[in-house]
Amino acid sequence: MRRMRVLAILIAFTIVAAACGDDDGGSTADDTSTETSAGTATSGEASGTDEEASSGGGGSIRLWLNGTDTPDDVVEFAIAEFNEVHPDVEVVFERQQWTGLVERLTTALSSSDTPDVVELGNTQAQAFEAAGALEDLTAFREDLGGDDLLQSLLEAGTYEDQYYGVPYYAGARVVIYRTDLFAESGLEVPTTIEEMVVAAETLMADNAGVPNFSGFYLPGRNWHAALSFLWEEGGDIATNADGQWTGQLSSPESIAGLELFKDIFTRANSAPADSDDAADYIAFCNGEVGMMPAPGWKPGQIVNPDDGCPEMEGNIGVFALPGSDPGTTAPVFLGGSVIGVANNSENKELAVDLVEIMIGTEYQSQMAETGLLPARTSLLADVGGTDAAVAQAQAATNSRFVPSSENWAAVEAAFVLQDMLTSIAQGDDLSGAAAAADAAIEDILNG
Amino acid sequence: MTTAVGDALGASAPPEAERRRRRRPVLPYLLLTPAVVILAAMLGYPLYRLGVLSLQDFGLPQVFGQPAEWVGLDNYATILRDGYFWTVLWRTVLFCLVNVALTMVIGFAVALLLNQLGWKMRLLVSTSLILAWAMPALTATIVWQWIFDTQYGLANWALGRQGESWLADPLSFLGVATIIVVWMGVPFVALTLFAGLTQVSSEILEAAEVDGASSWQRLRDIVVPMLKPLLLILTSLSVLWDFRVFTQIYVLQRAGGISRDTNLLGVYAYRISIGGSEFDIGAAVAIVMVAITILLTIAYLREMARQEDL
Amino acid sequence: MRISGRRQSRRNRVVVTLLGWLVVVIMTFPVYWMVVTSFRRGVDVQSPVPQFLPDPATLNNYRKVFERDFFWTALRNSLTVTLLVVGLALAIAFLAAVSVSRFHFRGRRAFIIMILLVQMIPAEALIISLFGVLDGWRLINTIIGLSLTYLVFVLPFTIWTLRGFVAGVPKELEEAAQVDGSSRLRAFLTITLPLVAPGLVATGIFAFIQAWNEFIFALVIMNRPERQTLPVWLQAFNEGARGTDWAGVMAGSTVMAIPVVIFFVLIQHRVTSGLTAGAVKG
Repeated sequence: MRRMRVLAILIAFTIVAAACGDDDGGSTADDTSTETSAGTATSGEASGTDEEASSGGGGSIRLWLNGTDTPDDVVEFAIAEFNEVHPDVEVVFERQQWTGLVERLTTALSSSDTPDVVELGNTQAQAFEAAGALEDLTAFREDLGGDDLLQSLLEAGTYEDQYYGVPYYAGARVVIYRTDLFAESGLEVPTTIEEMVVAAETLMADNAGVPNFSGFYLPGRNWHAALSFLWEEGGDIATNADGQWTGQLSSPESIAGLELFKDIFTRANSAPADSDDAADYIAFCNGEVGMMPAPGWKPGQIVNPDDGCPEMEGNIGVFALPGSDPGTTAPVFLGGSVIGVANNSENKELAVDLVEIMIGTEYQSQMAETGLLPARTSLLADVGGTDAAVAQAQAATNSRFVPSSENWAAVEAAFVLQDMLTSIAQGDDLSGAAAAADAAIEDILNG
Repeated sequence: MTTAVGDALGASAPPEAERRRRRRPVLPYLLLTPAVVILAAMLGYPLYRLGVLSLQDFGLPQVFGQPAEWVGLDNYATILRDGYFWTVLWRTVLFCLVNVALTMVIGFAVALLLNQLGWKMRLLVSTSLILAWAMPALTATIVWQWIFDTQYGLANWALGRQGESWLADPLSFLGVATIIVVWMGVPFVALTLFAGLTQVSSEILEAAEVDGASSWQRLRDIVVPMLKPLLLILTSLSVLWDFRVFTQIYVLQRAGGISRDTNLLGVYAYRISIGGSEFDIGAAVAIVMVAITILLTIAYLREMARQEDL
Repeated sequence: MRISGRRQSRRNRVVVTLLGWLVVVIMTFPVYWMVVTSFRRGVDVQSPVPQFLPDPATLNNYRKVFERDFFWTALRNSLTVTLLVVGLALAIAFLAAVSVSRFHFRGRRAFIIMILLVQMIPAEALIISLFGVLDGWRLINTIIGLSLTYLVFVLPFTIWTLRGFVAGVPKELEEAAQVDGSSRLRAFLTITLPLVAPGLVATGIFAFIQAWNEFIFALVIMNRPERQTLPVWLQAFNEGARGTDWAGVMAGSTVMAIPVVIFFVLIQHRVTSGLTAGAVKG
């Protein structure tokens, strides 16, 4: 009995503490809390009921942005701009994580307390657009970017010719390389894919003494990189004719691209066939990498003083993945996000106003300054600063995307491309693996 | 219906007990009420929805208001006709049985060990069990995966094998998964069985020892039968959990291997339903999984129905 | 009450102690690795030659954990929900276990079977509809809402296991108390409850760990940052560095594991007193 009583007291105490306590959001001076310039912190109560922002009026709107790509000060800028037009409306900014985002969006957007403005990854957006989760913004097209938008992001944000997702920002894949190793081997920045493969093999030979060394670090599951080879050879994942998807991985062009992938994997790489690129910066810092395909923000992660190897900073170079002809770039995967307004939102006009600010030139320029690719093509030329940013901007001009289908997310969830590449890398029959992947993709995309 | 009071007092029940016996006993229902209320209130509707969803065409559009068509048993047909589903199913059943067997045997052994130890070692061992138990499934899987990492893993280093991939071969992959699941499952079984062992009366054991029974005989003829309810409960729970195992497989699959060859039902269902937002198939798979789990535990269920005591 | 008899041979004791150490090493090695990694820099997390001690060691990961937004909020949310769930689960489950073990009544078997069946359902399949139920009651983003959800998943198992423990307590003890004048209910609370203490401990710890480490429902039900629980917070922390911050994850996990161990230590002490009470009675 005493035991129960102790526990009961503990529980009661904790509840009281929770109810009376203030939240970090209000007490610390940091930025990522839900402060707004106009109002007080909204996260005060922990008592259990959720009153604000639940029903209409000019009270407040909720903004969901994902991950850490959008810096706090840029968000605050947008909120300040918004409050100039709507001084009595509070913008509640809630930073979300990418993990489990689909589950969160599925439940929250269909609930009675939906966020008003949400960010979606470009590979997730189609599914939600097709489901009617987002508000149709076609009428506002002119104010929301008009024609000044990155094509592939626009594709992600459009469903059946209706405009739902406003392009937000993008990131293109580039190639990171060790300038010192290049110098030692007498190599120049490659201008064609051929040259790059030769460079990779040269590096392998010259660095044979380093265990686990890769001239071109290419773990089997790096499908983003593999896609570049596929596209450069003229192949594709799948095409759509009259609503019916056909897998294209078995086409001769695609096979050529996959063979190039396999070639590099076998001859110039030591990364395993079944891992992805999550540990690539660790390999780089261990001195095991000559070149590696990576998103544009990778150098920042490598030289991070806490978790990376800042001492390598002087040896990092970046170039855009070259194409087959000198002076061209290979098509690269464009990652990015779009912003949508919830269909269930009760503050749609306010939400659209906020989105307008976020796609506006001023906001987008600020995003560009942080090294992200702005969604506005007119600002692409202005992206400067680091080598990585320049290379990214260059690569972005030739960017491609996955099939625009609302079922694409299922293909990713089923690891179809990863399994195929691992199989190929391990030496299984290439055309067999491609054919199997085609069948799986057709099965999923055609519903 | 007789009450237990009536049972205990036996044939020579005083009139008061007779009266109590004839009235419908209120106490058991009263004691049960909080549990029933919570479970019914929270699960009633979702379970009903689960059944309904499995008979409809229900995807993301339906979550957002589009009407759902009735498709009868189509979803079940889709699943059951898919050869791959059966592959995954057999794989899961085998995996489950192996894991349950290992967990129970090792768990029981550790419980006996705890029983034999002096209090200092006992505290040390039980603390180590708690530490292992307290580790979140995700973190534990990550650490074990590092141990078996192809390039940097401890296992390869200790065994002197460079670059051996433990996750590439499906059997090896599931072997690693088994190590993780058993490692994570043993603490609970061991500690619970140990708790049960403490309830075994020492008098009976001493009497048996005096009568000349060996340790092994005492174990087999006294301890195991007395622990039987607990053993059965733990085994059935292990079957339930290991059949549905998800996190470990999911995390390991992200680290390596070919997912098609290593999918177990839990991950497969997740990939289909949440991954593809196909909630109808997900619901059907869930119901199929329940049906199969019933089959797996049917022996226990029948025994339980027969012996009212259990 | 040792099965192998009152006097253990010396050799037996050595073997037993060695086995004990073997168990300790196997069980704690991953924990040790987690803690060691938490003191490493991110780039040193994996290296071709494994390092058994962090070199260079850094407190940076822990600094990140404690300074990061919402850590204390998440800790408070997790503690509140978990303690609530454990307390309620044990209380409700004990009553239900007694009801089902000591009485025969109509619906008893149905209840037991239902309890077992409920545990067979993969929880993930119920996310959307459970969310709908909570949303209907306006319990999204509330401590009560999440606690009720966890109760639903913890109760069946707890009742199921406590049944076994209640069955292990001889009925005669309760009846003796009743003959002495106490009511049935009181007999349960004063006689049976202390004797199933070890079972309460085991299931209590289990409930604690379940609630403490649960991720997907916490992610979906608590979608406002100020309501998040530790596992959700940890995952956001993990994602924060754009790549995966393994060392940070280990630090966060270590911090998360500490309250569980504390809880066990607190309860463990109670178990011993429960044990001696049982032994005397025999």
